[in-house]
Amino acid sequence: MGSAPSDGSAGVPLAAFKVLVAGGFGAGKTTLVGAISEVRPLHTEEALTRASVGTDDLTGVGNKTTTTVAMDFGRLTMGTHLVLYLFGTPGQERFWFMWDELSFGALGAVVLADTRRLGDCFPSVDYFEKRQLPFIVAINCFDGAPHYDPEDVRIALDLDPRVPAVLCDARHRDSVKQVLITLVEHVLASRIKNGAGAAAARSGSQALRPKPPKGSHARPKSGAPQPELG
Amino acid sequence: MPVGDKWVDRNAGPVVRPYALTGGRTRPASGAVLDLITVIVASSLALGPDDSLGLSPEHRRILGLCRGPATVADVASTTALPLGVVRVLVADLIGQGRVTVLAARPAGEEPSTAMLKEVLNGLRAL
Repeated sequence: MGSAPSDGSAGVPLAAFKVLVAGGFGAGKTTLVGAISEVRPLHTEEALTRASVGTDDLTGVGNKTTTTVAMDFGRLTMGTHLVLYLFGTPGQERFWFMWDELSFGALGAVVLADTRRLGDCFPSVDYFEKRQLPFIVAINCFDGAPHYDPEDVRIALDLDPRVPAVLCDARHRDSVKQVLITLVEHVLASRIKNGAGAAAARSGSQALRPKPPKGSHARPKSGAPQPELG
Repeated sequence: MPVGDKWVDRNAGPVVRPYALTGGRTRPASGAVLDLITVIVASSLALGPDDSLGLSPEHRRILGLCRGPATVADVASTTALPLGVVRVLVADLIGQGRVTVLAARPAGEEPSTAMLKEVLNGLRAL
């Protein structure tokens, strides 16, 4: 950690950045964060919302108005003054309020996809599209899971052609590092495009193809049952 | 704090209701909610002669953790206190001038392109 003097008047100030890691339950979010950073616990005590009625069993705790949300985050220090915080987003829909907080001022997001349950990442994709937070899709290659071409996943998710979709192994540091590099490159590329209106510098090494025609493969509106790949 | 007590470990949950530590306040006195990655640091006033006035053990613990720059998320994690509680306590310390915010950029603002390039270089060098 930095040893800047306590008045902070000298030395390079600490610059902290947030990256969100989203995806369905069991997609490997915690594994990905742990592969590259020091994982630390974070507790929040939040007001129960209407959304959790029916989800949380409140029998016998009629006066309970707060719920504890436990989550982890990763802390990745680069050089002397850059720190990247990786926040796994809490999965359940009743924690949407945490997503708003986490995406506030965030650098970008990684949506981790499990090809066996691709539908699980629809809500994340919808959310980041709506919030216009730059994101990439990282397809976690589980042992034993069928491998798909990233293009097939892109079609199934109805991704914007500029959004990179890459394969990764969430257990391996170098693979996760490449995912993060792809994300930052994508964020930079989308700025260039937005700023100059020119054809965007393509991010990463991912070949991009035109958006597929709408059809049976298109990502349905959130809440619909998940489709099958292939 | 009960954390570390051999009978009541962290998994048992808090013995003191979390917001009892803030006197029931759930929002910072200033009204400004600190972002998770806001960088804070103890100021030179932090441990003055009136050290004991109005400072709870939790306030002091937070001050100790901010001798060097730290983020709100770091402080919440290390103290094992809920984020909302840490925000209220840190805001108290900011209000007293014991802690200052080292804002690299205003909360919620996107990182600059120059900063992003630094991050990219940092990642590549890992």
